[in-house]
Amino acid sequence: MTAPLLSVRDLRTHFHTFSGVVKAVNGVSFDIGAGQVMGLVGESGGGKSVVGFSILGLIDPPGRIEGGQILLDGQDLVGAPEEALRRVRGRQISMVFQDPMTSLNPLHTVGRQMDEMLRLHTDLDAPARKAACIEMLESVGISRAAERLGAYPHQFSGGMRQRVVIAIALLAGPRLIIADEPTTALDVTIQSQILKLMRRQIADRGASMILITHDLAVVSEMADHITVLYCGKVVERGLTRDVIGAPAHPYTRGLIDSIPDPRHRQTRLSQIPGTVPDIRNLPVGCSFRERCPRAQALCAQADPPLTAQRASLHAACHFPLTEAEAP
Amino acid sequence: MTPMLDVRSLEQEFAIGGGLFDRLRFERGRVLAPRKIVHAVNGVSFTINRGEVLALVGESGCGKSTVAKTIARIYRPTSGEIRIDGKDVAILGHREMLPVRARMQMIFQDPFASLNPRQKVRDIVAEPLLEQTAGRAARAEVTDRTLALLARVGLNAEHAGRYPHQFSGGQRQRIGIARALSVNPALIIADEPVSALDVSIQAQILNLMMDLKDELGLAYLFISHDLSVVHHIADRVGVMYLGFMVENAPRDALFATPRHPYTRALLSAAPTIREKRDVAEIELSGEVPSALNLPSGCCFRTRCPFAWGRCTAERPTLQAVGDDHTVACHLIDEPERDRT
Ligand SMILES: Nc1ncnc2c1ncn2[C@@H]1O[C@H](COP(=O)(O)OP(=O)(O)OP(=O)(O)O)[C@@H](O)[C@H]1O
Ligand SMILES: Nc1ncnc2c1ncn2[C@@H]1O[C@H](COP(=O)(O)OP(=O)(O)OP(=O)(O)O)[C@@H](O)[C@H]1O
Ligand SMILES: [Mg+2]
Ligand SMILES: [Mg+2]
Repeated sequence: MTAPLLSVRDLRTHFHTFSGVVKAVNGVSFDIGAGQVMGLVGESGGGKSVVGFSILGLIDPPGRIEGGQILLDGQDLVGAPEEALRRVRGRQISMVFQDPMTSLNPLHTVGRQMDEMLRLHTDLDAPARKAACIEMLESVGISRAAERLGAYPHQFSGGMRQRVVIAIALLAGPRLIIADEPTTALDVTIQSQILKLMRRQIADRGASMILITHDLAVVSEMADHITVLYCGKVVERGLTRDVIGAPAHPYTRGLIDSIPDPRHRQTRLSQIPGTVPDIRNLPVGCSFRERCPRAQALCAQADPPLTAQRASLHAACHFPLTEAEAP
Repeated sequence: MTPMLDVRSLEQEFAIGGGLFDRLRFERGRVLAPRKIVHAVNGVSFTINRGEVLALVGESGCGKSTVAKTIARIYRPTSGEIRIDGKDVAILGHREMLPVRARMQMIFQDPFASLNPRQKVRDIVAEPLLEQTAGRAARAEVTDRTLALLARVGLNAEHAGRYPHQFSGGQRQRIGIARALSVNPALIIADEPVSALDVSIQAQILNLMMDLKDELGLAYLFISHDLSVVHHIADRVGVMYLGFMVENAPRDALFATPRHPYTRALLSAAPTIREKRDVAEIELSGEVPSALNLPSGCCFRTRCPFAWGRCTAERPTLQAVGDDHTVACHLIDEPERDRT
């Protein structure tokens, strides 16, 4: 097998707050090959966005990368000088942020923000940059693109702003796109259009993508493999079909069961009992055990390591679900 | 019985266009500065009864949030009526709206922008309550109520002293929900309340919203683009496109027999981890027209696979096609043109 494009090894990113250390990412490892799409899913607050920010070197105090490696083509980005990271951002790796308003500058027109991306990372001349901007806006489904280059972000609806953000992220042709909930704000017809666009970009350029989302339906249609985070740790990973079809970790199973199923409408949705533990004071043993229907005495004593289960599946569970128990 | 909310012919326009100089045009020897108008909502009508959930779905940018914000009177409507408990609030001023706000609260689409970053969570949640009681509520009572509300949405006392930026997107949305519940409203306008949440918390919040509906008879205007969520929570569904209501039907009718080509496209595009619904596939091409420049005739014709001459010439109006089921599409008159 060829070396992966991105390899994250035992990443630990912590926030040092007054009330304690928030171990938002606590020992996360995964690989992404060229041309692959990895889905990163999990509990809200589980550390998905922080993984994305860490890869881009965008962790500000009180946050800090405490350890681990982020290898892009074998080169470690952890501890790399800001100057080097700036060259990586946009050109090599770009990010579509969860919150479209923070990634667009409200004071500048959309055209200016797009142009800046191309000016920083390509040597196109002004007319070529403008043409590229118009083409990209049109390809994400924004009509009258030439005219809209002169508009300000607040003049777009939430969904249209997100399309602009996606257009900017794709402009400089990055090799890895980290897309944090890229289509959460969009209706399904535009969502499927944008997901197709992103998939085509990836296929055409051999680029890779980390797709961060809690929408398992989107992930199951887009990703080659899935990594599930819980309380800052990887609890399950494997090929999409295995993770969705027959998960081994009870948390993943709980997520799948919480999705409303139009074929069997019930008055109440099945929900995972309890709440996420306070990550500043995680219980000893497995972090999921207090919410887990399968927990036993062992789970309170030892934190289960991520181990190979069946086929492509790895799960961190003492009492994993078998294939026969699949939903 | 008077409906909780009765919206009639609601229209909302926005004037836009950078500075005056960007807009100057030279035409027939004269300098003109035309105003550009965004037609965000174009004559939308619907009702919501007590204890009923109406879901609004549709294209991004089709005006769902504008409908919500106009009803919540964050905007003043260009025209139309907004009757709450039978009383038209469309043109009420800020002071007159105060008692109305106790009946109606809004949960916003964007959990990042909608919470004041300089306020602690406990103050954010207590704010509508303090506004309603003009600050007279006893401090201990407000504190108790705030903590009880936070507990209902799955946050604890320790969270109350934190600031919004210290929470994840999903946690922030729950703060917004606790805040909306603080004044015991009868109508909640929820703009994408669960789209920032992961599915397990989404299930908690949806269960919570349904419990509150059953216990307190709350009515909801529920905006979402997740059709499996809509199918779960809605009694009725309204489908919007480019500021128009194109279909409005009871939930089961809409999902079983969608009539408008846009509704059918929505249902077939929805991603799922399970087998696809049994709906004929309609894939849309073409661009979403701009609300600055509405197409003539039917708003959907530029992307509709069935469109013909009449659709350019004549704007379809909503007509009844079944029990409480209305559709604005010329195919209803000429079903032989429907080729799927
Ligand atoms: N600046 C900060 N200070 C303290 N804690 C933080 C900070 N930023 C993030 N956290 C914490 O880190 C954890 C992980 O947050 P993150 O935003 O990565 O979650 P997420 O998985 O992206 O959730 P969501 O799906 O809701 O977006 C959360 O518990 C959050 O409260
Ligand atoms: N304050 C404003 N000024 C000018 N135009 C606006 C304003 N607010 C919204 N619009 C325009 O009105 C239309 C409807 O926007 P709105 O935010 O209501 O859409 P939406 O259906 O909520 O979309 P989304 O699903 O993306 O949130 C869009 O064309 C938008 O650009
Ligand atoms: Mg996040
Ligand atoms: Mg909206």
